[in-house]
Amino acid sequence: MALVLDLADGAQRAQAAPAETVVSLTQARLSYPSPEGEVSVLRGIDIQLAAGEITAVTGPSGSGKSSLIAVIGGLEKATGGDVDVLGVDLNQASESVRTNLRRRDIGIVFQSFHLIPAMTAVQNAALPMVLAGETEAETAAARMLDRVGLGHRLTHRPSALSGGEQQRVAIARAFAASPRLVLADEPTGNLDQATGDEVVRVMFDLVRETGASMLLVTHDPALAEKCDRTIAIDSGLVRT
Amino acid sequence: MTATDRAPAQATQRFVLRQLIAAEWAAGIFGLRLFMACVAIATFMMGAVWALGDGLSTMLGRGGATFLGGDVAVTMTNVPLSEETRDAIAGLGVLSEVAELRSSAQFEDGRAAVEVKGVDALYPLYGSVRVGSARDLADVLAEEGAHPGAVVEPSLLARTGAEVGDVFRLGDRTFTIADTLILEPDRLSAGRFMVGPRVLVRLDVLQDSGLIQRGSLAEYRYRVKDEAGAPELLVEAVRALRPDYGWEFETPSDAGDVVLRTVDRTTTFLGMAGIAAFAIGLSGAWAAAKAWVRRRARTIALYRLSGATPGMVLALHAAIMAMASAAGLALGLAASAAVAAPLLEAITAWLNVAWSAADVLTQLLSVAGIFAIGLIGAGLLALSGAARIAPGAAMRSGDAPLRADPRHASIAVGFLTASLAAAALSLPIPGLAGLATLGLGVAVGLLTLAAGALARLVARRRPRSFIGGVVVQSLGDTGNTATRAIAVGIGIFGVTAIVAAQSSLTRALTDEIPDRAPALVLLDVQPAQVAAIEDRIERDPGLSGLQSSPFMRMTLTAVNGVPVEQALIRQDKSWVIEGDRSFAWSAEPTGAELLAGDWWAPDYSGPPLISPEEDLMEAFDLKVGDTMTYSVLGRSFTSEVVNIRKEYHRTMRPEFLMLASPDPFRGAPHTWIMSLQGENDIAVDSLIRDLAADYPNITAIDARRIVAQLRDVISGATFASFLIAALLVVAGALSLAALVASDVDSRRQEALVFSLVGASRREVAIARLTEAAAIGLIAAVIGGLTGGVGGYFAVTAALRIDWQPGLAALILPVALGIAASVAAGIVGGLGAAPRGRGQLIRQLTG
Ligand SMILES: Nc1ncnc2c1ncn2[C@@H]1O[C@H](COP(=O)(O)OP(=O)(O)OP(=O)(O)O)[C@@H](O)[C@H]1O
Ligand SMILES: [Mg+2]
Repeated sequence: MALVLDLADGAQRAQAAPAETVVSLTQARLSYPSPEGEVSVLRGIDIQLAAGEITAVTGPSGSGKSSLIAVIGGLEKATGGDVDVLGVDLNQASESVRTNLRRRDIGIVFQSFHLIPAMTAVQNAALPMVLAGETEAETAAARMLDRVGLGHRLTHRPSALSGGEQQRVAIARAFAASPRLVLADEPTGNLDQATGDEVVRVMFDLVRETGASMLLVTHDPALAEKCDRTIAIDSGLVRT
Repeated sequence: MTATDRAPAQATQRFVLRQLIAAEWAAGIFGLRLFMACVAIATFMMGAVWALGDGLSTMLGRGGATFLGGDVAVTMTNVPLSEETRDAIAGLGVLSEVAELRSSAQFEDGRAAVEVKGVDALYPLYGSVRVGSARDLADVLAEEGAHPGAVVEPSLLARTGAEVGDVFRLGDRTFTIADTLILEPDRLSAGRFMVGPRVLVRLDVLQDSGLIQRGSLAEYRYRVKDEAGAPELLVEAVRALRPDYGWEFETPSDAGDVVLRTVDRTTTFLGMAGIAAFAIGLSGAWAAAKAWVRRRARTIALYRLSGATPGMVLALHAAIMAMASAAGLALGLAASAAVAAPLLEAITAWLNVAWSAADVLTQLLSVAGIFAIGLIGAGLLALSGAARIAPGAAMRSGDAPLRADPRHASIAVGFLTASLAAAALSLPIPGLAGLATLGLGVAVGLLTLAAGALARLVARRRPRSFIGGVVVQSLGDTGNTATRAIAVGIGIFGVTAIVAAQSSLTRALTDEIPDRAPALVLLDVQPAQVAAIEDRIERDPGLSGLQSSPFMRMTLTAVNGVPVEQALIRQDKSWVIEGDRSFAWSAEPTGAELLAGDWWAPDYSGPPLISPEEDLMEAFDLKVGDTMTYSVLGRSFTSEVVNIRKEYHRTMRPEFLMLASPDPFRGAPHTWIMSLQGENDIAVDSLIRDLAADYPNITAIDARRIVAQLRDVISGATFASFLIAALLVVAGALSLAALVASDVDSRRQEALVFSLVGASRREVAIARLTEAAAIGLIAAVIGGLTGGVGGYFAVTAALRIDWQPGLAALILPVALGIAASVAAGIVGGLGAAPRGRGQLIRQLTG
């Protein structure tokens, strides 16, 4: 409990777990309630992610890849096992601790871009930093947008951006707060090959620059190939 | 469906549209249920109150001559017109005479107070009397039998147990009950509450019944019907005859003033409530329609993706919305007809007038028409954005902003304005129309200005916190802030105005209930009988509070030598110079408080000195020492004012507008009036029995029953107006719900993103709450203020009663503002965020 309180104060970077392990899952389980009873989706997953490592997650549709991202990102609470992310025991952490973690240390990108229609590109990208109370949020966001090649689109709203551009805004948002962990769930799924390649290149560059770790869900064997290692999931279990 | 390469022929287009409608209408209408509820409840309110109000007022307006009994009428109290004047009038048009007096009818076992009316052969000049057997009144009364015939109200039969064919006595004569009286067209001409059931007899028979003695309180009405096709000339010609003793002169526009006042106020209130319901309903419908379109944005994008033209999208949604509108309108109209018809039936039966179903139907149809025009405007405003959704939005999760086409928007505003104008113009009271529209316009204008100012103020801020950022980003959108403020504000405006008016109306109506009413009033007491009756009452320990005084009438003609019409300085007191007013003489002080001057000595016997009541002082700015000229029993007097009496409201005791010293009035023929209170009903009932046996000429008015009836009528009106105000609050809440619902949909996507990037539910909720509270505050302050001001004008200018808004009018706008903010904040903040295990990730990956 004391640990959690410390973490809430933002002191988590120096705490717990060996520095090189950013994510540690032990027998992690997740089930969803359904009219026919609980549906077991993750059935005992063991994963260790090291700092600076880019890991691909592959597996057939419905195998539990997105659910894995949700558990690591603190979007869903595991129903069993241990989930340790950036030194925080997510199974014990309160909602606000998990929220705080997403705000500062974890960036997430989905296949759908999830931008706020009423906000401009730079406002969208600055959102997590604004949440973290950072003073120069929009300046930093603008810099990040420039970095992903959207320097000339800062004040455009999502409805005026192409799919690839919207996804790059989402990526800028995920990286803007300098997270230590990036979770990407089929980020190129909605994009054509060329645009997708460009988006992936930007992401890899950013991960390498910031020294963050990345967990990348993909159906594309070629893309998985480019990652440091691949974890294959099937029916809620890691296939070895 | 498939897109063809070339533009499909129109027929194909129509076919495709029909198919789409067939596939979509059920789900569409289900999605529009909040919209339908808003339409239905507003139509219901508007239809019911307008059908009632308009039904009553057109009926009363059109019936002016019928209610009055002629194109012009003059009334004399106590003394009939001189032969000479009567003949002069008869030369101007068709003249019909009636005489009315209160009396008591003697039945086999018991007596009953009745309102006797003697009618001549020409009666009624307008309208027709309906009797139980559906024969002509003239035929019924002309029938020759053992006794002359009388037509009586059914309630008299119910009260006495008598039947048609039975006999009863009035004064010295015996009458046979020839028929029952179903409808008396000129009932309202009496302009007062009836003390008992109506009895119609022939005027000549009444005249020699011995009932009309000199000095008994009979009213002679002379009605003239115009035959030259110029009623105005007739009115002027009769007016020019004005004899020097006063008469009460009436034209159709002032028929039945006392009863009509209540109906008129209620009607006006109903009209206002209708306008308010209309505005609230439209704004609610618009918000609900907008929410629906936004929910369907994705589907629309998919339609467009599959090749549907913007026009087709518009047509499809317009068709579904039209169906929902029709359903809502039909539901509302049916409900209002179901409520208005029986109510009209009951009210008109009470007023003794006829109503027509056609009037109500016309009114309901015009309500539907006006509402339909407004809905076209509101619908177009909501739908225009849908047509502009690009097919590409399907790839961007369909969340393109919905912006109305400016051309559509201006057309829509045109429709809305037209419907509002039509609504205002078809209001029963034209003056009110302008007032209501003006008030609404001012409210909307102010709300727009305030919202714009807020948006500008906020847009300049650069907040650092997330909450501040979200609030600024959302409120900074001027258009959106303004529409939300207007939608909430209109509801608060209408509810505040109506609740304030309702509270004032309730007070005004309850003010008409006497608070210290006597139990019994005795009329037509002959001077020689006074002492014995006073003795009987004073000996009875069950009776108290006896007051007795002479009962006479006088007509004012001049003040300080100036004719009263010119001397009058307060128009609202003009009734004091209209016709004859109560008058009495008294040797002793009456016990009334004096505002100025002193009483004459009890043994004073010089020329008459007078004591006017407060109302007269206000009407003429009277002072002690002024002189007044008045006529009593056809003789004119000029007397000095020696004191001014304070007025006692609502006692239902005989109050006299003017009192005089005894001479020479005590020698003139007149009757006395007595009033008393009873400790218990038994004492009062036994007195009534004794008086009936010993003094058959006396009319005993059981005030207990009259007050109870009055109370019933007024509490009915009060309850109805309360119900209307309450319904309006419900309509306001519904429109608020529509607004909140439309907000939630637009917030869902945002809430999802906020959770993704690490905003807690609390932060999102606080941000929403702050934002909604700002709008709620603007709406409450401006809607409440304008509603209060509008209500004030409506109450004082249209209802012409005192402004007594009550606490509710103060609390409601604030409460509604808070309710709106909190609901929007909670639903838009907490409610929009996905809940439950597995939901968040489902929506993020979906
Ligand atoms: N809320 C829920 N309730 C019940 N079952 C769910 C729920 N959400 C997901 N599931 C089930 O959990 C399983 C895993 O879903 P998940 O989205 O993690 O799969 P995935 O591997 O990401 O698939 P894809 O490659 O198609 O995105 C699926 O079988 C899905 O049907
Ligand atoms: Mg998935």
